[in-house]
Amino acid sequence: MNAAEIYKLSRLAIFWLSVTFGAVWVACWGVGVFIPSLITGKMPFLLQVDNPSTTVVFIADLLRSLTPILSLLVFIPINAMFMVLFERRSLALFTVRMGPNRHGFDGLAQTAADAVKLLFKEDITPRGADAFMFTLAPIIFFAPSIFGALPLLAAVTNNHDLFKVANLPTGIFYILAAASIPVVALVMAGWASNNKYSLVGGLRSAAQAISYEIPLVLSLVTMCLLAGTLDVVEIVEQQKGGILNWNILGGGALSGYDKLAPYWLNLVDTSFDTSAMFGQFYPVPWLSSIMAFVLVICTVLLFGLYLTGACAEINRIPFDLPEAESELVSGYNTEYSGIKFAIFFLAEFTNLFVVSSIATVMFLGGGDNPIPKWILDRLPLEPISNALGSLLSPLIKDLMFIDPATFWAAFWVIVKVYSIVFFAILVRGTLPRFRIDQLMDFGWKRLIPLALILFVVVVFARTWVVCHG
Amino acid sequence: MSTEIKSTELKTDEMIINMGPQHPATHGVLRMLLTLDGEFVKHAEPVIGHLHRAQEWQGQNRTWFQYQALIDRVDYLSGMFTSWAMARSCEVLDECEVPERAEYLRVMVSEMNRISSHLLWLGTYLIDLGAMFGFPFYPFREREKLLDLFEEIAGQRMMFNYIRIGGVQRAPNDAWLKRLKAFTEEFEDRVDEYEAIVTENPIFLKRTKEIGILPLSLAKQYGVTGPSIRASGTDMDLRKTKPYSVYPKLEFDVHWLDKPEGGDTWDRYILRIREMRESNKIIKQCLDMLPTEGELSGKKQNAGLRVKAGEAFSSVESPRGILGCYVISDGKDKAIRFRWRNPSFCNLSVLSELLVGSPIADIMAIFGSVDVILPDVDR
Repeated sequence: MNAAEIYKLSRLAIFWLSVTFGAVWVACWGVGVFIPSLITGKMPFLLQVDNPSTTVVFIADLLRSLTPILSLLVFIPINAMFMVLFERRSLALFTVRMGPNRHGFDGLAQTAADAVKLLFKEDITPRGADAFMFTLAPIIFFAPSIFGALPLLAAVTNNHDLFKVANLPTGIFYILAAASIPVVALVMAGWASNNKYSLVGGLRSAAQAISYEIPLVLSLVTMCLLAGTLDVVEIVEQQKGGILNWNILGGGALSGYDKLAPYWLNLVDTSFDTSAMFGQFYPVPWLSSIMAFVLVICTVLLFGLYLTGACAEINRIPFDLPEAESELVSGYNTEYSGIKFAIFFLAEFTNLFVVSSIATVMFLGGGDNPIPKWILDRLPLEPISNALGSLLSPLIKDLMFIDPATFWAAFWVIVKVYSIVFFAILVRGTLPRFRIDQLMDFGWKRLIPLALILFVVVVFARTWVVCHG
Repeated sequence: MSTEIKSTELKTDEMIINMGPQHPATHGVLRMLLTLDGEFVKHAEPVIGHLHRAQEWQGQNRTWFQYQALIDRVDYLSGMFTSWAMARSCEVLDECEVPERAEYLRVMVSEMNRISSHLLWLGTYLIDLGAMFGFPFYPFREREKLLDLFEEIAGQRMMFNYIRIGGVQRAPNDAWLKRLKAFTEEFEDRVDEYEAIVTENPIFLKRTKEIGILPLSLAKQYGVTGPSIRASGTDMDLRKTKPYSVYPKLEFDVHWLDKPEGGDTWDRYILRIREMRESNKIIKQCLDMLPTEGELSGKKQNAGLRVKAGEAFSSVESPRGILGCYVISDGKDKAIRFRWRNPSFCNLSVLSELLVGSPIADIMAIFGSVDVILPDVDR
């Protein structure tokens, strides 16, 4: 193992993420909290008027409502730029190379430099291409990945007031609907390019997306069945309290054990009769425990199913047939150059970020701490946080600068999302590519039956176990 | 306006695609004219000549000494073998004795070259299969060590000009031999490493089994040689069937598969892997048997190099197959005629039969498996 390179890569990730995360955090606070409270609260006092004028209130509201959308619009592309570098450096690590490490701090400016280079390149529209469609395709490819992520925003920030912009009761449905739009863009790009390779690439992506969206959606539907809701905020809310409550471990099938563990381990009042509580979660003693175990296996498999489907959905190796270099040159984006290509390229990473966020929210407890609550309660965290709080109190007290719950939620989301991203990179660094017919076989003959079987098993198993829903 | 539908039949056309010469996967400048029915190949025609450099004609316009520096470029991945083929036919013509030490050195560097060529093939073949960024670089790590060794002994990493008419260019020192020994000792483990990740990989098996089946009769018809024909049921290897140099004194196996109905791309892959192991064995033996003292060349290496009048053909077993050199000399400073028999050319021409009926995705899997070097095709 190349310890020095691993150290450099993790240093890079920590440095960059804390810088961007901190900047976005401060900007959100400034625009969404500080300025509105300044102009509606402090200004009238200074101007010695009783109430702020309606115009001022309107401006304050506008700023508050624009903040979450702008934060997504800024954070996701910047983050995608970093993910490009992260992927290149990680792949270099897996393949005994160096990777880009010259520009900026350990190569941080590399993607920015590439983007600037692409920006200044000639924007070529091939002869015979449908220019309007050709221009529209990258836009349609890029936009849904950002707007599809809107309902996730509240879910990953602990339902903070500022970020409650799109708390739809059918959140996951909207997200999936938005996530299936980019395929249209790929077909458009393939058709409009007037290139045979692009056309084949576009058609392949359509076929692939149709086949792999089914297991993807089925796995999420099964999770919604366990959760009893389609609202992502509520799904995250249900999973709070440590790793045993997460959807990946049975969708709440283990939360009874989680609740009872402190009693069994004699950490709290031992005179409490646990059997009544146990019966509340697991009505039929032995069968329920077995079914809880079955549910855990099912949900772990569903998580794998989701990751496989997501890899196919966003065209990553081993499912990157629409842009298979060795066959189709570059597939649907063969004819693209300049900034249009850059948008395609960035959007791929944005999509990766979004599908990883969905996985985090649906399976990995969103912003939840992996350590069970009853362990966390026993750690001497309170004195530490009190000390920190008193140190930062001039900042926190009036201005709500840091809401600890939101901060930690965002922190854990980023850790989880980057773990999934790293896994996707590792897969890319290892596997060859499927052939198109094998891809279809794998999707229709393996994944979809598996998804259906899991769905049925979960429906039966959860009748004996009390899950989140 | 008539509402009548004229034809209910769906009309589909064949699509003609020019794959290459600027295609990222055609290993250089091959152009393939493909007629596709949907995703399947109906007709394939390799169009060659984009890299024609008149190598044979150049041989007639340069002195012997100049030309031997040039011919490494014919097959740039295995320059030792092109040099050796030329040197051997000139030695036959000249009736000059090659010192034993030089012969051992020739076998040693050639087998090193065979390994480095197969390593590059392994890496690029995996890229052809879409393992774009992960594994392919590991073979390159070992190849780099070999290239460093070549650089030290020949002064060049790829265009060696090491094997000369009559002998070799220079002798290795002890440090070099030690490094080579260290390499041979660890190399076996490295091959195990490649095999662990590739050979039984389910996606790799799916992509390579049962495609590009080359029957023995077809292979013979097209003159396919090397590992590609040994996968189809013959043990034709010049090192055994027509032994030359010191190969009879060395112990090694020629791996082949008894499959006259035809070997698939996976068979050709596994034969190359086994060949690397055998080459490693040969190098080990050469290291033990190499005489420490002795002549390096049976001829003076200077600009006045001459070859006696007459004509001769001789061939060697290169990583890609039988590499032959035909030469006519009139005893003057330049040759009358050079003619090369390049394995890549024959291996490439069989593609037009192999590709028919396979989907687009398999084109590169099959093309990569016959191991073609384009400058070797076009000369």
